[in-house]
Amino acid sequence: MNQSSSGIWRKSAGYSSLITFSILLIAWLAGFSSRLFAVIRFESIIHEFDPWFNYRSTAFMVQHGFYKFLNWFDERAWYPLGRIVGGTVYPGLMITSGTIHYILHSLNIPIHIRDICVFLAPVFSGLTSISTYLLTSELWSRGAGLFAASFIAIVPGYISRSVAGSYDNEGIAIFALQFTYFLWVRSIKTGSMFWSAATALSYFYMVSAWGGYVFIINLIPLHVFVLLIMGRYSQRLLTSYSTFYILGLLFSMQIPFVGFQPIRTSEHMAALGIFVLLLFIAILRHLQSVLSRSDFRKFYLFGGMFAALIVFLGVVFLTIFGVIAPWSGRFYSLWDTGYAKIHIPIIASVSEHQPTTWFSFFFDLHILVCTFPVGIWYCIKSVNDERIFVVLYAISAVYFAGVMVRLMLTLTPVVCILAGIAFSTLLEVFLKEDYSSRIVGKGGNIANTEIAEDNHVDKKNLYDKAGKIKFRPKHDAQLETHCGIGSNLKSVIILAILMILMMFAVHCTWVTSNAYSSPSIVLAFHNNQDGSRNILDDFREAYYWLSQNTPDSARIMSWWDYGYQIAGMANRTTLVDNNTWNNSHIALVGKAMSSTEEKSYEIMSSLDVDYVLIIFGGVIGYSGDDINKFLWMVRIAEGEHPKDIKESDYFTDRGEFRIDSEGAPTLLNCLMYKLSYYRFGELKLDYRGPAGYDRTRNAIIGNKDFELSYLEEAYTTEHWLVRIYRVKKPSEFNRPSLKLGERTLSPTNYIPRKNSKRRKGYIKGRPTVIKGKRNNSQ
Amino acid sequence: MNSITCSPPLPCVPLPFVILNISNISYRNFSGALPTCPKEKNENYPAKIVNKNVERSLDISTQLIKDLFKITATNSDGLPISVYTFIVPAAERKNLAFISARDENKKELKYTERLVDGNHQFIIAFPKSVSTEVFIIEAIYTKRLIPHPMEIPQSGKQLVRYEGNLYLFSPYETASQKVNVLLSSSNILSHTQVKPYNVASNKIKYGPYENIAAFTNQSLIIHYENERPFLTTTRLERVIEVSHWGNIAVKENIFMTHTGALLKGSFSRYEFQKDSRSGHAIKSYKTILPSSASDVYYRDTNGNISTSNMKIFRDYVELELRPRFPLFGGWKTQYTLGYNMPSFEYLYNSGDKYLLKMRLIDHIYNDMVIDEAEIKIILPEGVSNIELTTPYTVKRGPNELHYTYLDTVGRPVITLSCKNLVENHIANFNLKYTFSKITLLQEPLLVVAFFFIIFFIAIISLRLDFSINTTHSHKD
Repeated sequence: MNQSSSGIWRKSAGYSSLITFSILLIAWLAGFSSRLFAVIRFESIIHEFDPWFNYRSTAFMVQHGFYKFLNWFDERAWYPLGRIVGGTVYPGLMITSGTIHYILHSLNIPIHIRDICVFLAPVFSGLTSISTYLLTSELWSRGAGLFAASFIAIVPGYISRSVAGSYDNEGIAIFALQFTYFLWVRSIKTGSMFWSAATALSYFYMVSAWGGYVFIINLIPLHVFVLLIMGRYSQRLLTSYSTFYILGLLFSMQIPFVGFQPIRTSEHMAALGIFVLLLFIAILRHLQSVLSRSDFRKFYLFGGMFAALIVFLGVVFLTIFGVIAPWSGRFYSLWDTGYAKIHIPIIASVSEHQPTTWFSFFFDLHILVCTFPVGIWYCIKSVNDERIFVVLYAISAVYFAGVMVRLMLTLTPVVCILAGIAFSTLLEVFLKEDYSSRIVGKGGNIANTEIAEDNHVDKKNLYDKAGKIKFRPKHDAQLETHCGIGSNLKSVIILAILMILMMFAVHCTWVTSNAYSSPSIVLAFHNNQDGSRNILDDFREAYYWLSQNTPDSARIMSWWDYGYQIAGMANRTTLVDNNTWNNSHIALVGKAMSSTEEKSYEIMSSLDVDYVLIIFGGVIGYSGDDINKFLWMVRIAEGEHPKDIKESDYFTDRGEFRIDSEGAPTLLNCLMYKLSYYRFGELKLDYRGPAGYDRTRNAIIGNKDFELSYLEEAYTTEHWLVRIYRVKKPSEFNRPSLKLGERTLSPTNYIPRKNSKRRKGYIKGRPTVIKGKRNNSQ
Repeated sequence: MNSITCSPPLPCVPLPFVILNISNISYRNFSGALPTCPKEKNENYPAKIVNKNVERSLDISTQLIKDLFKITATNSDGLPISVYTFIVPAAERKNLAFISARDENKKELKYTERLVDGNHQFIIAFPKSVSTEVFIIEAIYTKRLIPHPMEIPQSGKQLVRYEGNLYLFSPYETASQKVNVLLSSSNILSHTQVKPYNVASNKIKYGPYENIAAFTNQSLIIHYENERPFLTTTRLERVIEVSHWGNIAVKENIFMTHTGALLKGSFSRYEFQKDSRSGHAIKSYKTILPSSASDVYYRDTNGNISTSNMKIFRDYVELELRPRFPLFGGWKTQYTLGYNMPSFEYLYNSGDKYLLKMRLIDHIYNDMVIDEAEIKIILPEGVSNIELTTPYTVKRGPNELHYTYLDTVGRPVITLSCKNLVENHIANFNLKYTFSKITLLQEPLLVVAFFFIIFFIAIISLRLDFSINTTHSHKD
């Protein structure tokens, strides 16, 4: 970055790079350590659901090698279909941790692959903050970059996906995203093929890591498009985009899961279109310089229209004939938030696909959500090629974050960048020539104060790196107008800013500690009486029981949420899991859960189910259990089997979903209900309360006294959180008894005539066959 | 047991007591040696030895059979007795985990084992021969108590059957014999009734019986309730890692099975919670660690097992371990237990010579049974002249190499394995080796050198200019 070579600057450059280095190091350490709450409170363990799959496949890759992994057919998932893991996974995460594992082990550092997986996301958060720093310095200034780096290190919106143990694609993908954008901005600025090739490489890493790469491959073309519209076409743009697009296209097709999608699906067509458009404009420009004016105009008119028509028709026809796949359902749900609810209940059923509330914007971003519009404003005010990019980035990310809670993650980095720009500019105004006020405000956040200092030191020699020359005087002039502020006012404002930053840091720590640091497979609750901490380890208890005491080939039916955990912790075959690629299979499981025991036994035996696992929170009041998810099972089952399952059957006449005696009889007799409440009706949770009182739903269950005939309880964990049932073999149960009246067949009208004598009947006209003789008639 | 013929006793070279592979002693070897020394026939079963008095106490209150014989043997001719033969039938030999002979002063007597016609003879030698010898033989058998019925429901009671010989199976005549049987409960369904006998609560007293001929076989069958844990460690992998920086790390990987009556039908958590009596299910057990054990961890492949308690006493550490789930008959579990100990308690040295004195196996739970154990001792890098003495014969595998942090040539690993162990096998081994102290500095120096090279390269490379063109150097 710092390429000043004249003697005057060398010394301060040395200091500034020292400060930069130390701030980035502190940001890295702060980001790393604030992600360790879960490890310190619990242990080094993989969290939640998807990380278990990633961990399992990483462990597989480490054990069997990369090529075995690419060809891995996992027969333990989606029984009886199986899953081609190598071709349906973004392998970047596994390769990253596998490489780290390989390097460490070749240096004789025997770290278990689990620990590498647990700590991968916190380590990468440091890399993210460095790449955010680089990107922001490209866009604005190094001071703003340091702000942004510090913000992203601790901002909850990003921590939510990258705490230690949350071993998921997003953990490394945000780094890849930021780094790709940095390289893109760099290549736009320099117009060098080197940087755009580097962008393509980084994009390749992103493609290998996360499905969110589609965001890049749409945002960069959008940037190019907007630049073209704004008349900012340049040779640099042509060079960098065409290099990036072609290389990126080729690279991305190397990932087995992506394959030919970049040239065949609608999500990627924008990039292709922009590429064609850019080339077209480049040709026009060239022709303009060659042809005369009137010729050019004619050519422009006809050629342009003709080309546009050809391209448009081509795309339409290709889509119609199925060469280009239309938008996938998940993408429709991005434009139309109601789409998923109607057409794809399985997407709508995931909590992280719900629209974002205002609350969670503030919760995840705190003060940044207020300051980032300021950053946008600054960027628009002194606009140049790369600042257009960040504005587009911000606008699109805000939209997507509003659609889905999950995409808050893509918004967070750009919010940090813009808030960094805003804070840096503010402090630049108020800290100018005022060294004493810094010392006053040094009490609070060390990192931020240092940024403030650094900002001041760096300002002169680094500021102008970002902007285009023609905008600079304006900006400087604007700064000068602020210089007349009194020193008291300055210190008050600086103190206020520092206070806000400090509160931001406190908020981030609090949110991280309270909201995002639960492994969710180990639950902790605090005893109200003596304040001691109790641990509910029922999930691992059940999974470990499965792994130890069921046959190795046992097939376990559960709702898809627990598929990855069963595969990862119990190492048993599952029917459905969190990779929800086959809706009808999930619907079949949903149907089995929502039918009566007898009907679901047919489904279960057709699917070779040996054990059924359900989650039941009624004893301890755990709200995320299967009864509370049950309506989604019914809905998904209804989507595929509308004749057998009807959602309305599970509601009372008044449209209520209740499990007490007034509940719908279909609900009270379905398999899920019976498995959840088997023998629960006898259980008294405390001396005063009635038996069979469900703490989660605060009701006494309606169907108390029943026996299971096709299943038997195999294991129930200590707090009844996980219940496992064994499906009996046909020889093990008695067929359900028939009522006495149904046992005898009712006599029919037919009365045989040969009741008295034994008379031989005959068939009329029957050819007589004599043995050993040929029948001549034929 | 049924047809034991008195074959001519075979001479043999005294073998060390081999617990491991009885296949080492093959019949053919001995028969080949038969004609060479026929004289020993008389020496082995001198007809003149008579078991004047035998007091047997049979403890079948746990999953083990602890068989204790107090024998008073005399030579009717008044000659001194030099050797005494104790017989274990081949069918019982594979269940025999431990055998020891002591004299009246609790001093260990040496014995040798040999196989004669399907019977294992333990020939006990007396250091000083007198005409009347009083000594104690203790034999511990595993897996001879068979659950009957094999499958019981959750609320059922675990009933087991003991089957064995009532009398001391001896090549000598027995003048007088008494048998005391200790059971785990007073609930006795049936037992062999050879008069005189007396049943009192959880004890059965048989005898005294007079003048029993040699090789008499009287079967003893007791069917009774035994709800003590029938827990078998099917495999124990114990790793002892010695560091000369002052720490010995022990890691035990334990595979367990409940080998009592199998669980029939379903497991009901409701019944289990309602009935606080544990019955035949194993909820928890206690492991005793050495007093200096610290940093204890108890985990499995899914992470830490949060249900454990540690109590520190003056001369031991008691761990109350609860498996993730209660163990019913046939249920398995597996876990890893590890701890650190300061090395000064177990590692002695004079100059460059070191002596490691540690337990070969350690306590896992009371009355434990270990089917097979594999012990690995990892020594520091640069150790030579390794010399191992074990308290009993174990199978020693080839030495391996282990690589961990900052290792270059690898650490020597001594592998041992043994089978069918009980608590009586908790004993120290001695491991002597040579290690020069200067080798300790190798690893810190390696780190220093590494960082030195890194910084050196950084310093050099940052001061060199590798750029091809330097056009924009003054602008920025």
